[in-house]
Amino acid sequence: MSQKIITLCYRKIIDDSNLNHWDKFVHEDSFLEFKLQSQLYNQEGKYSTFAELLMHVPGAEKLHFLVSAAITGYLRQLNGIIPDILDNLGRRFLSFENFKFEIINSDFNNIEKHKVAINFFSKPLVWHNSIDNHLLISQFTEVASEETFTNLFQIQPFVSIHSIKTIG
Amino acid sequence: MERKNFIRSLMIGAISTPVIIEACKKSGITDGGTTSGSGTAGTTASTNGTCTVAPTETEGPFPTKVPASYVRSDITDGRTGYKMTAKISIGNINNSCAALAGAIVDIWHCDAEGNYSEYGGSGMQSTNYQSVHFLRGRQTTDANGLVTFTSIFPGWYSGRATHIHVHVYSASGTSLSVTQIAFPEGTGSAVALVNGYSKGMSGYIYNNADNVFSDDKTGVEIAKVTGTIAAGFELTFKLNVKA
Repeated sequence: MSQKIITLCYRKIIDDSNLNHWDKFVHEDSFLEFKLQSQLYNQEGKYSTFAELLMHVPGAEKLHFLVSAAITGYLRQLNGIIPDILDNLGRRFLSFENFKFEIINSDFNNIEKHKVAINFFSKPLVWHNSIDNHLLISQFTEVASEETFTNLFQIQPFVSIHSIKTIG
Repeated sequence: MERKNFIRSLMIGAISTPVIIEACKKSGITDGGTTSGSGTAGTTASTNGTCTVAPTETEGPFPTKVPASYVRSDITDGRTGYKMTAKISIGNINNSCAALAGAIVDIWHCDAEGNYSEYGGSGMQSTNYQSVHFLRGRQTTDANGLVTFTSIFPGWYSGRATHIHVHVYSASGTSLSVTQIAFPEGTGSAVALVNGYSKGMSGYIYNNADNVFSDDKTGVEIAKVTGTIAAGFELTFKLNVKA
């Protein structure tokens, strides 16, 4: 029997309006790191926003990567579980190893304009079925077993199916 | 926010339950008299109907403030190569090049194959968060203006001589200098001993042909590098900045 193996992506947006501690740490520390690292691309101090750097300075897109070091320590604190996204029992259930950090907008002079996103990519999941508007999924394992524990889960804003592969 | 609202809604439920019981006891009494009421008007906005499951988990893990993952002395991150200790001291040109304490020093360089830790750009490429910033580090200078990093001897890539990037910031984070450190060349030098790792030296660009170092006629950008392949190498470099 063929199986659909998917990975999910959750794009967590963090800006000045986020209130919980983890989000605030990510917001503040990524802003400070942006202020540090962006000077490499702004040696004459001509620009003040990330958008200007992207438009005028070759290589400035590396800032996504360079600034991400400010937040990898916080990713470790999640113990490999994607935050916020719950199954239908109200539990966080998606595990991750891979991420991609993005600076959406920023302004060196104004932290309120600093807005970032962390894309969390789930480990591979088996998509068994769709029930009503929910997906019935389970952790993908190389070894097949007779009984598999599943999660029922609803696709919600900022969550998408990132990749799909049919096997078997 | 959602969690807070949820907890609040639980509390309101707990408080309002006895009120309902009291109200039930009053059965049979005709309504019409004044009722004193209880509680005060809540400020909790409704999040009902958003069609998401509310979190029902024990709180945590609790976040703590952590520095950027650059802040470390050993920047190897599992990259293989000949060990290299880099000792960079920062002096202040505005103070007769005396040691500058408290300066932030970032360094980065390529691995034995000539690759930098970088990913992303505009594509869909993701990366594992555990070892993504290999061969990049940040230290703060001590009272002697010194920072020390443990790394591997850098490889080389097309078009460039062996080098290490350095960015020095003031303690408050203002950029003071962006530069590169060059390596000595010739018989017996570390560059010659390492011999480009598995790549060899065919097509290697030497300092005098390098587009960054070729104007350095006095060798001020060239570090002192000692050591052997077996024992590892030690690089020392003095960098003077205007602070």
